Amino acid sequence: MAEGVDTGDDLFESLRKQVDPKKLEEKAKAQAEREAAQSAKAAQRLGELIGSNSSLPVTISSIRLIGASHTRRSFLDRIFDPILTANRDKAYTLQEALQEVGSATDKLRRFEIYHPSLSTFVDRPDPTDPNSSPTDIDVYIQARERGRISLKTGTDLGNVEGSAYGNLTWRNILGGAESLNLNASAGTRTRSAYQATFDTPILSDPDKRATVDVLASSTLKPWSSHEEVLKGAGAKYSWATKSGTRHQVGYTGMWRQVTGLAANASPTVRTDAGDSVKSSIIHTWFADRRDHPFLPTRGYYMKTVSEIAGWGPLQGDVAFWKSELETSAAIPIPILGIKGDSGVSLTGGIRGGMLYPLAIGFGSEIKPSRINDRFQLGGPTDVRGFKMSGLGPRDGPDAVGGDIYAAASANLLMPFPRVGKDTPLRLQLFANAGRLLALQDGKKSTSQSFYSTAAQIGDGLPSIAAGFGVVYAHPVARFELNFSLPLALRKGEEGRKGLQFGVGINFL
Amino acid sequence: MPPKETPSKEDEDQSSFSRQTRKVRDLFSIPPPVKKLFDRVPIVVYAPNQLPQRAPKPARIPSLYVFSTSHDAAAGKPSFNPSCLKWQTFLNIASVNHRLISSNNHASPTGSLPFLLPAVQSNSPQDALLPVTSNKFVKYASNHGGWVDESPSMRYEAYQSLLDHRIRNAWLYTLYLEPLNFSSVAYPLYVSSTSSNPLVRASIAYQLRLAAETELLKHTSIIDTDDLYSEADKAFEALSSLLGEDSWFFGNDKPALFDASVFAYTQLLLDDSLGWKEKKLCRALRTRDNLVRHRERLLVRYYGG
Repeated sequence: MAEGVDTGDDLFESLRKQVDPKKLEEKAKAQAEREAAQSAKAAQRLGELIGSNSSLPVTISSIRLIGASHTRRSFLDRIFDPILTANRDKAYTLQEALQEVGSATDKLRRFEIYHPSLSTFVDRPDPTDPNSSPTDIDVYIQARERGRISLKTGTDLGNVEGSAYGNLTWRNILGGAESLNLNASAGTRTRSAYQATFDTPILSDPDKRATVDVLASSTLKPWSSHEEVLKGAGAKYSWATKSGTRHQVGYTGMWRQVTGLAANASPTVRTDAGDSVKSSIIHTWFADRRDHPFLPTRGYYMKTVSEIAGWGPLQGDVAFWKSELETSAAIPIPILGIKGDSGVSLTGGIRGGMLYPLAIGFGSEIKPSRINDRFQLGGPTDVRGFKMSGLGPRDGPDAVGGDIYAAASANLLMPFPRVGKDTPLRLQLFANAGRLLALQDGKKSTSQSFYSTAAQIGDGLPSIAAGFGVVYAHPVARFELNFSLPLALRKGEEGRKGLQFGVGINFL
Repeated sequence: MPPKETPSKEDEDQSSFSRQTRKVRDLFSIPPPVKKLFDRVPIVVYAPNQLPQRAPKPARIPSLYVFSTSHDAAAGKPSFNPSCLKWQTFLNIASVNHRLISSNNHASPTGSLPFLLPAVQSNSPQDALLPVTSNKFVKYASNHGGWVDESPSMRYEAYQSLLDHRIRNAWLYTLYLEPLNFSSVAYPLYVSSTSSNPLVRASIAYQLRLAAETELLKHTSIIDTDDLYSEADKAFEALSSLLGEDSWFFGNDKPALFDASVFAYTQLLLDDSLGWKEKKLCRALRTRDNLVRHRERLLVRYYGG
């Protein structure tokens, strides 16, 4: 019987509970509304106040950051010292002062060590304090530090790849927004990857960062019948220019192993099996002036990567100069009869790259490129209508890569009928072309072989594919489902007739 | 990804399930107009792209992947690895024409050298291009017109096990675990060739020595140096008395696989150019005159001196 009573109680309980959340929700809603109204009113009052006092001369006598117990004083000094009036030769107006404080808090926010809701208060010091002057204001910034250690696990799905990962982040280690990130993942293509990254802003500037990382990974390369095992370390420094472009310079030392060959691996891949060390300096530069990273309607994007490996003091087992250029641009297309933005846009992209072999160290013997340094081209995220690494030289079943490539694409994006242009869905018509070549053999010198290969890009039509499909811009990645037809190709290159699915961040 | 052809095996079954799956299959099969379109593309097909410069030049003869230097491989000189040298010599004896390619274990389908990559012939089926591992060399040689003397017997196996265990163990010890020999012989051959980077070299050297040690510890709980050497000495004595005054083992009038197996060790132990520093095993062999002469005969006959 006791049980019966219990279940009865439970029933009442559950009935009561069913009612409660609704009420609670309503209450919470009402409260939130009240709060919102209040803060809106406060903001308006503040706005009026500032508006009417915008030219009021003030001096910032102190700035206090509340709730930042783990942040170093010296780290904060570099942000706040320059805006204290004592360190400036000119007085502020109230508006200027608030602007400066605002940009300082914005910097704080970008270190990602505080919760983004930083609030600022301004107070006048006690006028009876003999140290204060009548124009003095004190600034208080209320911050809440984010948890210093966070652990994240999850799964990822990408182009023919599924993986699970675990990620440990230790924030603000030394109180200067330094972070240590440990990442481990295992998947179908990247069989395992372990990475530790230490990252720190330089001179309290969120735009200048130094990074040191070590990594070990093992990745399947089914298009060339092998598995690449990497172990390496690197150091990078990145910064932003005033015009908004970003630079990164870094050194990487990497031990690569081409191993785990498939039974039918080609002689070219077998020749490159084994160990090699790449010691290189890489510079990356990019400018992103598009209005949307995955579905741009206007603006352009440009990126260059330059790498020098093995040359002079760099040593290692491979030596080359490698350059890549990537550009894309979008323009909106006005349609007659539709006022304003039609949602129709034309995007185009051009990519190119070259690898010029050099002599290792201070030697004079030039070694040709290996499979893990050469470029691969083709696939749903670059030259659509071709299989993954479907373009370029092939030895039997393997895409063995090339030393020079060029690719271009043109896409016409149109909003779905009835769905409208504000959704992240588009129909696309595309045509793209590419060419991937290995340096010619049997020439007198490397430069001769290089120039004659580069000239060969223009021989005949490039490998071309065209088609149509659907594009969906999810906040984290772009998805495409296309119907494609390869129109021109080289014998051995693998076209994709029919449907092709692509997930990626960076599409050609 | 539309399948290019519809499977037709289960069509006989007339259950509703199969009818339903057929409906689904019809849905996914390529409609005729699209098929016609697919057949028409690509419109232009050009000549294939050239292979990269490092790609090996195509050859009409099979390629034998062995431990060697690229220079020695081109000259057809003996490999510095006993099991590679055994099979290299075997192919020479069986007069299977081949070219040598200097390689490493990563290139091999089994994880160890040697292996043979058949030559590409335009009409050969796909699986004729698969690599041939060393345990199939005898069959490969007899299938490809090589001269093979197959005479497995109890005696043969007993002597083969002398090589595979006693002599091999002593070889592993003297090459990898004698520090002097490791630094003067094994290091330049097996380690320096992998990378120029000191860290990578140190890691590979460590792995090699560890592998040799685990291999030796498979059969005993401790590595007894004197025991290893005296066992090898006894094995050489047994081989020496087996050979006697004959030219080739088992009284054959031509060399065979067993001669190649013995040669694989005797050649390397008697080759002064390898730079042995701790020569205990070399000395043990050198006292057996007939084995020394046996090695010389093979060297002259198949490697031109």
